[in-house]
Amino acid sequence: MTPTTDERLASVIRSLTEVVMPHLPADASLAQEQVQLAIGHLQILRLQFDSVHGFEAEELADTRALAAELAEAMTGGTSTIAARESLEDLVGAPAGEVRAALSAVNRGVELLVQAVSADGSDDARKKLPEIILRHESQRVEKDRRWFLPYGFDTMEAAA
Amino acid sequence: MNTALIERPLVQNEMETVHRKIIDRRRNNRGLPPYRAALTEEIVEILSAFFAKERPGARVSGVRRVGGGASKEQFFFTLSDGGKEEQFLLRMDPRSAITETDREREFVLIDAMQGRVPVPEPVWIDNDAVHFPQAAAIMRVVSGVTKPSDAGVKVSGLGTWLGPELREKIKDQFLDYLVEIHSYDWRANPLPGFEVPDADAKQAARWNFNYWRELWEVDEGEPRPVMSLATQWMADNMPDTAGLVMLHGDYRTGNYLFDEASGKITALLDWELARIGDYHEDLGWVLMEIFGSFDSDGTFRASDLFEREEFIAEYERRSGRTVNRETLHYYDVASSWKCNIIVAANGLAAARSQHNHQDVLLTFLGAAAPMFANDLVRLLSKGAEA
Repeated sequence: MTPTTDERLASVIRSLTEVVMPHLPADASLAQEQVQLAIGHLQILRLQFDSVHGFEAEELADTRALAAELAEAMTGGTSTIAARESLEDLVGAPAGEVRAALSAVNRGVELLVQAVSADGSDDARKKLPEIILRHESQRVEKDRRWFLPYGFDTMEAAA
Repeated sequence: MNTALIERPLVQNEMETVHRKIIDRRRNNRGLPPYRAALTEEIVEILSAFFAKERPGARVSGVRRVGGGASKEQFFFTLSDGGKEEQFLLRMDPRSAITETDREREFVLIDAMQGRVPVPEPVWIDNDAVHFPQAAAIMRVVSGVTKPSDAGVKVSGLGTWLGPELREKIKDQFLDYLVEIHSYDWRANPLPGFEVPDADAKQAARWNFNYWRELWEVDEGEPRPVMSLATQWMADNMPDTAGLVMLHGDYRTGNYLFDEASGKITALLDWELARIGDYHEDLGWVLMEIFGSFDSDGTFRASDLFEREEFIAEYERRSGRTVNRETLHYYDVASSWKCNIIVAANGLAAARSQHNHQDVLLTFLGAAAPMFANDLVRLLSKGAEA
């Protein structure tokens, strides 16, 4: 029998909340703020822990879908063609480590955006923002919901 | 994986000298050992040694850390001298911050604003960290609060909720002071370190873009498609300068002190991002949704003070300037883009390098990045103009 991740996180949160916090001097404002933030972080991590891998895998899948559509639609001069082919390679490559794969695809998209600005066809210049914004509006919604527990987001209020 | 794709070229674009210095310092400091938050007793010792030279016979007491804030180490203290007691604030840079700036530049500008708008009185500066462990400035303490004591009413967002009563008391001052800052005659009264982007019609927009773009690269911001699109859109759509003014750079509710009973603004704070640039840049920042509020009926108020069109109309009326909607749209995009760089690159880089005293806050703030990404999607969906 070994402690689960949830049990370990819960015990640290309880220790910080019930043992460490009350013993901090009243004038230790930085320490108090940081312990509160640490507790907040840990509570959110505890909430999300079981979903982290799924969230990141979905993020990669979404980004690859965007990259694939971009690669198919972009036409233009030599810079655009070279960036498009690099992106096609990245989309088709085995994923490996998820964060590294995501970074690589995102960087490939960045280079394609720059290339289309330099020598993309008129059609590519029109389609590129349409494709990115359509995909990103959905992706951003997922990211905002993921980080909603941090309390910054006004999405509920704005809605 | 093609690793060449994720290598970042070292670029050196034109920008103000002070900004080049900040970027070089940030890049060069990357390998330095971790930074530790200063202990109160250490600050007592440092301040006592400083005033032993600066004001012999004076005694330092009541040193206490100031809570809140995400970029500077700040301490209140009392200086007793000849039976007189004065309250001061020490503002000291950590090794690296979410917004890394120049203490002397801030000091010089606040000094120039004395008597024009309410500001703290800057008294001592140690920009080269001769007396303090890091660059530092000391200012006289001004009374007031940055948010009402019942601000807990607002449960989300980075903005401060003022409510109807304070809103009516504060809004005219807020706008009048912005107009006054913008009217500062920097040609007749040039400030050391503040360069003027007037070499060509696009230099103001270009300097702003180049600085933040390089900060993004230096701090290895993780690209996401909408940021890449926004960056290229800004490079391709730089507006001509409509008019050069002294910009505050971070003008919003939360960055001024006010008297809670009267609603009188007692001091405008956080001048560290000030520069000479297009007035639309400050307007775009003020109008950012993330720093504002939404009523239950969905009405948005910038800084919880003005509805968007009301703010634009009143700024035009009081300043005599015309707000160009295309230029404002550019700076709306630029503001959200810049905020994304601050939370998703600058803050996280400072935390990763352990060069800040609030790593845990910086990573917490990083969670705001999707909101700015959402702003970029919303704004860029409008096309080239609003």
